[in-house]
Amino acid sequence: MGGNAAADMKLNLKIWRQDSEKKQGQMVDYKLDNVSPDMSFLEMIDVLNNKLVREGQDPVAFDHDCREGICGMCSMMINGIPHGGKKETTTCQLHMRSFKSGDTIVIEPFRAKAFPVIKDLMVDRSAFDAIISAGGFVSVNTGNPQDANALPISKVNADLAMDAAACIGCGACVASCKNASAMLFVSAKISQLALLPQGEPEHEKRVQTMVNKMDELGFGNCTNEAECEAVCPKGIKLENIARMNRGYVKASILGRPL
Amino acid sequence: MTSQSSCSWLKTYLCSSIGKKQLMAITGLGLSGFTIGHLTGNFLLFAGPEAFNTYGYKLTSNPLIYIAEMGLIVMFLMHLSVALKLTMENNAARPQKYYMRVKTGRGAGFASSTMIYTGLIIFAFVITHLLHFKFGAYYEIEHSGVVMRDLYRLVMESYQSPLAVAWYIICMLALGVHLSHGIHSLFQSLGINHPKYTPIITKIAYILSSFVTVGFSSIPLWAYFQGVK
Amino acid sequence: MSFKLDSKIPSGDIREKWENHKFSSKLVNPANKRKFKVIVVGTGLAGASAAATCAELGYQVSTFCIQDSPRRAHSIAAQGGINAAKNYPNDGDSVWRLFYDTVKGGDYRAREANVYRLAQVSASIIDQCVAQGVPFAREYGGMLDNRSFGGSQVSRTFYARGQTGQQLLLGAYSALMRQVGNGNVKMYPRREMLDLVVIDGKARGVIMRNLITGELESHEADAVLLCTGGYGNVFFLSTNAMGSNATAAWRCYKRGAGFGNPCYTQIHPTCIPVSGDHQSKLTLMSESLRNDGRVWVPNKVGDKRNPSEIPDSERDYYLERVYPSFGNLAPRDVSSRQAKFRCDEGKGVGSSGLSVFLDFRDSIKRLGEDKIRERYGNLFEMYERITAEDPYKTPMRIYPAVHYTMGGLWVDYNLMSTIPGLHVLGEANFSDHGANRLGASALMQGLADGYFVIPYTLGQYIASTKLEKVTTDHDAFKEAKDRSQKQIDSLFAVKGSKTVDDIHKALGKVMWDKVGMSRNDKGLKEAIAEIPKIREEFYQNVKLSGDKNNMNPELEKATRVADFLELGELMARDALERKESCGGHFREEWQTADGEAQRDDEKFCHAAVWEYTGDKSVPNRHTEELTFDNVKLATRSYK
Ligand SMILES: Cc1cc2nc3c(=O)[nH]c(=O)nc-3n(C[C@H](O)[C@H](O)[C@H](O)COP(=O)(O)OP(=O)(O)OC[C@H]3O[C@@H](n4cnc5c(N)ncnc54)[C@H](O)[C@@H]3O)c2cc1C
Ligand code: HEM
Ligand code: HEM
Ligand code: SF4
Ligand code: F3S
Ligand code: FES
Repeated sequence: MGGNAAADMKLNLKIWRQDSEKKQGQMVDYKLDNVSPDMSFLEMIDVLNNKLVREGQDPVAFDHDCREGICGMCSMMINGIPHGGKKETTTCQLHMRSFKSGDTIVIEPFRAKAFPVIKDLMVDRSAFDAIISAGGFVSVNTGNPQDANALPISKVNADLAMDAAACIGCGACVASCKNASAMLFVSAKISQLALLPQGEPEHEKRVQTMVNKMDELGFGNCTNEAECEAVCPKGIKLENIARMNRGYVKASILGRPL
Repeated sequence: MTSQSSCSWLKTYLCSSIGKKQLMAITGLGLSGFTIGHLTGNFLLFAGPEAFNTYGYKLTSNPLIYIAEMGLIVMFLMHLSVALKLTMENNAARPQKYYMRVKTGRGAGFASSTMIYTGLIIFAFVITHLLHFKFGAYYEIEHSGVVMRDLYRLVMESYQSPLAVAWYIICMLALGVHLSHGIHSLFQSLGINHPKYTPIITKIAYILSSFVTVGFSSIPLWAYFQGVK
Repeated sequence: MSFKLDSKIPSGDIREKWENHKFSSKLVNPANKRKFKVIVVGTGLAGASAAATCAELGYQVSTFCIQDSPRRAHSIAAQGGINAAKNYPNDGDSVWRLFYDTVKGGDYRAREANVYRLAQVSASIIDQCVAQGVPFAREYGGMLDNRSFGGSQVSRTFYARGQTGQQLLLGAYSALMRQVGNGNVKMYPRREMLDLVVIDGKARGVIMRNLITGELESHEADAVLLCTGGYGNVFFLSTNAMGSNATAAWRCYKRGAGFGNPCYTQIHPTCIPVSGDHQSKLTLMSESLRNDGRVWVPNKVGDKRNPSEIPDSERDYYLERVYPSFGNLAPRDVSSRQAKFRCDEGKGVGSSGLSVFLDFRDSIKRLGEDKIRERYGNLFEMYERITAEDPYKTPMRIYPAVHYTMGGLWVDYNLMSTIPGLHVLGEANFSDHGANRLGASALMQGLADGYFVIPYTLGQYIASTKLEKVTTDHDAFKEAKDRSQKQIDSLFAVKGSKTVDDIHKALGKVMWDKVGMSRNDKGLKEAIAEIPKIREEFYQNVKLSGDKNNMNPELEKATRVADFLELGELMARDALERKESCGGHFREEWQTADGEAQRDDEKFCHAAVWEYTGDKSVPNRHTEELTFDNVKLATRSYK
């Protein structure tokens, strides 16, 4: 099997440990040997955790599930960048061959007022759900809608909508933004639905309720830093934020009162 | 939420993150417009005292100037106060700072991350600038039979100290940096982003901001090397 | 306690069964609906669609999921697409053909009436999803695009890039979040179901562990919908998400729900092979790759040459050789098994010898690299990210991996288990897929169950059942809670030396070697002997750390593994009893002369349903006979 001994790496890890939201946390140093370059980053933490459990210590809590870059669970900052900074790659898709033996790797949770730490590297991103429930949907009940092909949709718009819909809700945009702004996430959903005729009728209302909810939850204000776009593992474009901005001003100024 | 619903729609808009951003954009646009206009006007310095003083005189003797000045002050103060508010809110949005934060190099640049600092330098500059020129020494001169303020002399005198020149140039660098992000960023804030035009807008922003820095810096440098005759 | 299996299939012509059934089902008065509480466990396609739809109808719904948000349920990972009998391409598809293909694909081990209903509602699913704003792929004219998938001869698969599951789930999630916003659904994320509460023989509530605080919570309801997905992780390595588990279903089984066909497991042929002991899960590569890639191994045993140095004459394109008409597109179970055979012969490639080549050299030559990049660019990237090998230059290496479990809790036509009030939807039920699921049919089934079946059958149950008021003070809740608490306490008390992962890996190895792709009497008996030993080791030597009253992922894993250790044994038992080969269940003793699966319709044309009889005793095997009035049983052939 892969990972021959010669290629094994030794790492110094600096990991944020925090017992719960209310408790103080701190960075703790760990040494880990026998890391194979074929491991994924999370498998490396699995190895650490198994070691910690054997030593009777509390393993590092972190969010993860699909481990193939689609569920959006994994969420840590690796050496100062969410998901480690490899283009369009989530933490779970990052492999240890991107590091060298002897490296020090700093791992800490996503930080934002709206994302309180639950434990160690795990944060509470339910604010995203709250934003979606404020308007990130088409108000259609299950039943007998018209035939799926009744409304043709230009391929261009369908593709743009799909680009925006690819967001996995990981929150890296918030984590990377110096203002902890959620604009990229919110604009992705608003854009997806604005680009499709199904979402169009509610666009004016949606853009206002979602943005207002986002503001209420304590995210920061966007100053067009574009760091969010750079770290987004799904390549969500800033264009979506512009689309939301123009939708918002149009709806606020020209639309009927909510 | 309660504070939101008691707001009128306009207040809701202006209180929102996007509303504030767009206020920044509109005031920033206005201020940029002024800056570029001011720069072209100031180039008349190169044409000699008469041209420059007459231009200043024509401007100040037009009653519309008061409206324009009012507008400028309002924009400036709005831009400043919203900038401060945004900065405070943005700091509050991440109470616990990162142990390590690194930029990818694919997104934020130096300019975008330092807007508040370059902005504050501009603020300090404008205050000293106003004290210096607008409320500074009042020389008089006569051109073509009209007595007017000799702004030319004031300007030329001001730039005789290397320190003053250096301070100006530093400020102009700050301004250029501020605008290099500001000018294209304001389009994004207002919702204008298009794969065909955004690259052009970005280029224009760099050209304009360099032009502003170089243009404004050329004046003190020129004045310094010219010396007062 | 013993149950009788009544499938409650409505009478009449298969085409009319569902219509008639809907009409004859009782309705709940709209004003009364909000008096009934419905618990939905799981928020994947099945759970989210059911929860949203029930809330729209007016029921008071509570949803639970393990993840921090309903949007992250494992359905999110489905790539390929969703089938529907829309016949947009005009290539001969119909409800009947989808029905027929599904029954045949399942090797005639599914219930005809259910499959027909599935095919019938499939078209509405697409309409519904499009109305929600799901961005399915379109053609230039603005119409929906279809592709052929998983060896199907018609193009009936709708897709949204390589992220169909994600888009469908986000559609259902948005419908759910709308109801959360309206106050009709209470959402409880980061909760794990540890027990079902049965009162007067009816499912009346659940015990949930709050994963953040560690607290055990009781929730009461008038009906429980279990939508907790599949149990592929019993193998330790599978394409399932790390948190996918059998716990919810297993504990219902222990409360009296019959477990149907536990041994039916689907092994997917195109996964990225294992790279080392550290491996935590396997990644699926879309099956669509087989449209242009050719599968081969070297002719010579132990040929370790670089693949580019092996001339065509020394390559065995075994799928093309054995199945000349289907070639590389042979169905999942068939291709998986063939890969295993080649590796068993010692012809496997890679350092472990446990993989085969999937080669794009010829299609790159024929179509050009750009065309291939356009079709599979993102898959190639994914492959390269994981393996650091460039598939444009060197053939991919693939190996089969556990992917889906056709088995699950037995349900009747109304999706109700043997416990009244406990309905089971999606992958968690023993499903409409028989012994083998066709590509792009799981998404269809999950949404069919949630959007279009349960709203009717739940109404029928509630309207026709006397449901006394219960509260969480009822003794049954206390008992169930104590049971769960005791288990947690006892696991912490062990203080042994093995981690949960150590034990899970040991179980996984037995399962993969003996209850995996190809099974035999000897191996199954060994598994039935070995698994209890691993279980014993677990209870005597597991080591947990951390705090049980706090977020503790080790503990979560431990309670899941505890159940896998029991389920694994049942799977082996079921496989041992099913003395035939069918679909994903391949018994070496029952194969044709050329190595194909051989069914025994005489003796095994039934679903096996297991009844729990206590921790120490062997469970009872019941059967539900399957009758085929509309499809003629035939041997599946892909030659
Ligand atoms: C990699 C991959 C690709 C696939 N591609 C396709 C495809 O292209 N087409 C297709 O048709 N099918 C595909 N499938 C199969 C399909 O995705 C699944 O069968 C289907 O999504 C299952 O949906 P579900 O709603 O039943 O369960 P899931 O989506 O698995 O959801 C389970 C839910 O239950 C919750 N849950 C689980 N246990 C508990 C518990 N104990 N307590 C509380 N909550 C719990 C989870 O949190 C989750 O919300 C694929 C599967 C995999 C693994
Ligand atoms: C009082 C001094 C100033 C301060 C403190 C200041 C501060 C800021 C800050 C913090 C921003 C970023 C806000 C955001 O993008 O949302 C900004 C943006 C901007 N500023 Fe200033 N600034 C000042 C003066 C000026 C001046 C004099 C000009 C023009 C010459 C100017 C032009 C702009 C422009 C065009 C933007 C971009 C707006 C946008 O992105 O929407 N600023 N300023
Ligand atoms: C080196 C270059 C500059 C020169 C020579 C210059 C010169 C002058 C002069 C002579 C005046 C006085 C006009 C009057 O009182 O009527 C003036 C006013 C002013 N200048 Fe400048 N200026 C320069 C750069 C700038 C810059 C970079 C800014 C800000 C971005 C600026 C902002 C102002 C403002 C706001 C006023 C007041 C205008 C009014 O009240 O109408 N100047 N400048
Ligand atoms: S926009 Fe990108 S970074 Fe932000 S949540 Fe979505 S996928 Fe993650
Ligand atoms: S990084 Fe932040 S400032 Fe805006 S453009 Fe992205 S949200
Ligand atoms: S674990 Fe699912 S995206 Fe990383």
